[in-house]
Amino acid sequence: MLAGGALVAGSAALGGHATAAAPTPSRALDEKIFTFALLLERLQAAFYTEAVGVGALRGELREFAEVVGGHEREHVRFLEEALGGRAEPRPTFEFGSATQERQRFLDTAVLLEDTGVAAYNGQAANLTKKSLAAAAEIVSVEGRHAAWISDLAGKDPAPRAADPGATAEDVAATLRSTGFIKSS
Amino acid sequence: MTAEQPSGAEPFESTVDGLARTLAEVDADGALHETAAAAFPGTRAAFLRRSVAAAVAGVGGLFTAESAEAADAAMTKNDIAILRFDLVLEYLQAGLYTEVERLGALTPKTLGWARVVGAHERAHVAALKGLLGRNIVPSPTFNYGNVSSNERAFIRTAVGFEDLTAALLKWQAPRLDSRSIVAAAVSLHSVETRHAAWIRHLIGLRPAANAFDKPASQQRMARLIASTNFIASRPRLASRTRPRLTG
Repeated sequence: MLAGGALVAGSAALGGHATAAAPTPSRALDEKIFTFALLLERLQAAFYTEAVGVGALRGELREFAEVVGGHEREHVRFLEEALGGRAEPRPTFEFGSATQERQRFLDTAVLLEDTGVAAYNGQAANLTKKSLAAAAEIVSVEGRHAAWISDLAGKDPAPRAADPGATAEDVAATLRSTGFIKSS
Repeated sequence: MTAEQPSGAEPFESTVDGLARTLAEVDADGALHETAAAAFPGTRAAFLRRSVAAAVAGVGGLFTAESAEAADAAMTKNDIAILRFDLVLEYLQAGLYTEVERLGALTPKTLGWARVVGAHERAHVAALKGLLGRNIVPSPTFNYGNVSSNERAFIRTAVGFEDLTAALLKWQAPRLDSRSIVAAAVSLHSVETRHAAWIRHLIGLRPAANAFDKPASQQRMARLIASTNFIASRPRLASRTRPRLTG
């Protein structure tokens, strides 16, 4: 996968840290996880909002962008409210042709939705019970988006029996690979 | 980072990698290895990776036999009760989809769905058995009537089961005690939501109707199962432990 060697090295370096004190769920940790989730949701929301604005998508793909864009904006609102004044400023995104060309839109949407599922699943066990309950309501919808867009893209909507969680580092590497995030 | 985006590199570092770094020390991988090492003596930290690999392969359980032995020793009664309920539900779904595939009476699109999803539910059965170890509950006998051979009846049942299974797993997730089991359960949860969205798309329903999916309790799922009359003989599910919301 992406930058595998560097990530393996990074994980190994962090391994010593992690075992020194296993962190338990806390409000402070919830905040870090929600901050990361907010970045992902803002990226998704901006992507679909721009795609609808550009107006190049047709048929069900346009419907998908409209419906899913609405969901992602609601997720952003939820996370911003949960973080209160501690939400970071919204970054700038540049999507290039991904919001204009059908195939690039499909590939990008599949990647963003699958990444969303893996990101939430990867952090689920680190959340407090209350935040886990909220995150489960969101990741459930990300899973539905992922299946819907995969079906539209001619891919298997449910490619595996389990959706493994991804580490924050892996999610960051995937987001980095898109080149969409330009400033914070 | 590729060379053609030099201007984006700096801010990106602070935005994404900074966040990832703050999370890395508490990431599921590291944190759960610790939890797993305590809950699964002798299995080493690779257990979660193995669980994912096994699930992805779709063969066998999420956990090996020896780790299951250790697991059932460490698992709380509350978690056992939840997983036993899920196991019966997975038996029920796997049984229906397997029978659909065997009879071959439905449309090719629906059969294709049942084939893939049936394989997943069978993998979930194996995974839950692996987690429960000696605490497994035997499969009841099922009678699906005409649901496995009638397109409309099957679709209605499958949409209901997949939507409600996803809702049930959402209700259970914050009620689980073991963080390792939370990690395993959520990896099944999102697959159930994919199944639900997929079959809804197949029949022209909107795959994702709302921005947030609400949970549904075990009591509600139990009522749905009872209403189908699919269970011809009951397994012994006696357990005095009721799942609770902790923390």
